[in-house]
Amino acid sequence: MAGRDRLVGAAVAAVGLAGVAVSIYLTFVHYSAAPLVCSTSGAIDCERVLTSAFAVIGGSALPTSAAGIVWFTVSAGLAIAQLAGRGSPLLSRAQLAWSALGLATVIGLVFIEIVMLGAVCLWCTVAHALVLITFLVVITTRRPGVEGGRA
Amino acid sequence: MARKRKGPRSAPKTQQKARPQEAHAKVKRPLRKPVRRTPAWVPALATVGVIALLVVVFLAIRYFSTPAAPPPANTTQTAQVVSTITSLPASELEQVGAGSATNHITAITGTALTGPTGKPLVFYYGAEYCPFCAAERWPLIIALSRFGSFSGLTTTTSSSSDVYANTPTFTFHGATYSSQYIEFQAVETTDRNQKTLETPTAAQLALVNRYDSGGSIPFVDFGNRYAFNGATYLPDSLQGLTWDQIATDLQSPVSPQAQGILGSANLITAAICKLTGDQPATVCSGAAIKSIEAHL
Repeated sequence: MAGRDRLVGAAVAAVGLAGVAVSIYLTFVHYSAAPLVCSTSGAIDCERVLTSAFAVIGGSALPTSAAGIVWFTVSAGLAIAQLAGRGSPLLSRAQLAWSALGLATVIGLVFIEIVMLGAVCLWCTVAHALVLITFLVVITTRRPGVEGGRA
Repeated sequence: MARKRKGPRSAPKTQQKARPQEAHAKVKRPLRKPVRRTPAWVPALATVGVIALLVVVFLAIRYFSTPAAPPPANTTQTAQVVSTITSLPASELEQVGAGSATNHITAITGTALTGPTGKPLVFYYGAEYCPFCAAERWPLIIALSRFGSFSGLTTTTSSSSDVYANTPTFTFHGATYSSQYIEFQAVETTDRNQKTLETPTAAQLALVNRYDSGGSIPFVDFGNRYAFNGATYLPDSLQGLTWDQIATDLQSPVSPQAQGILGSANLITAAICKLTGDQPATVCSGAAIKSIEAHL
């Protein structure tokens, strides 16, 4: 595997692990009601976002950040798997699809924050940015010709 | 018999036809036409561009869907609205009961909180920018007016940049309250633009720190016997309305405004009745109030 590919894979894995850390923090805050290190007034209002009805998945008790933990874990896992393997085309496609799914979800969450809540959660935005970075790295470094095994 | 000269045989016709191409074959040609590849940065830049465009669209949707602040009510209009909402028939309040209000009022313990004249004190702590404070002032005014009367109430709206933007409401800043049963103190910490307005006394701050450690507003303390923070109904039923419209809607017991505001007023009334020993009886003896008191 080319050195550049290894570097890219390591970057995606690192972004995934950072996302896991942020998501774990948000989940911890949700369950422990600990004070969040964030503004609570004006447009940047983490409390407003994290105590809204959209802070949990589908009316359940599960916080949305828990889905973030899953997404980032899978993303990091796919990147590590590609590092360990030979750059399997299947893994590459899976990474692309997973990144696209994450980005679509982020767009929906940003819509909820801006349009429906009128407030933005800083920590959520960090997580969203990590998803976007993952997607950008994946589509920038994807090479369809090599992927198909053809020269 | 003549013999054909031996020599290089002339190329067959097929090969003769190939001869011009043989010459061209010496010139190197690519096996296929080169394919121009899209630079790797193009999809990434396109993605960022689309995301940025979507954010702008979302902001535009938010801007155009946010109700504008109603024109401020003048003194006469304000007085008329206050008169309307504080003279609603007791039968209507009885009919609404707890309405759609959520009872956040909880029992607390501490030294009895009284005012300068020794009467039980109801203490409010909030801010003019706060939309939940904006919602809660309506039932607070209605409930407190059942035990006394306000003067100097003025209208305002909550912040334009917060959730439930421009919620029409009143402010306790500059208002006075008088009653033979209770005393009322209010602190509006900031105006609707979050500029400092009033500063709580040390004693008032101690109450907030003790019973509202999370700092949520509005915070209301009923004589150190009951307290609640946050709004008991959502401000969404007040969005886009004027004070006159809300006052009119309150006259219909089934309206969302009546269910929220009058329901909350009954919750607050029940807590105050607990402080006054169910006085006055005309206010505290109704079935709805008794039922709420039983659950406090």
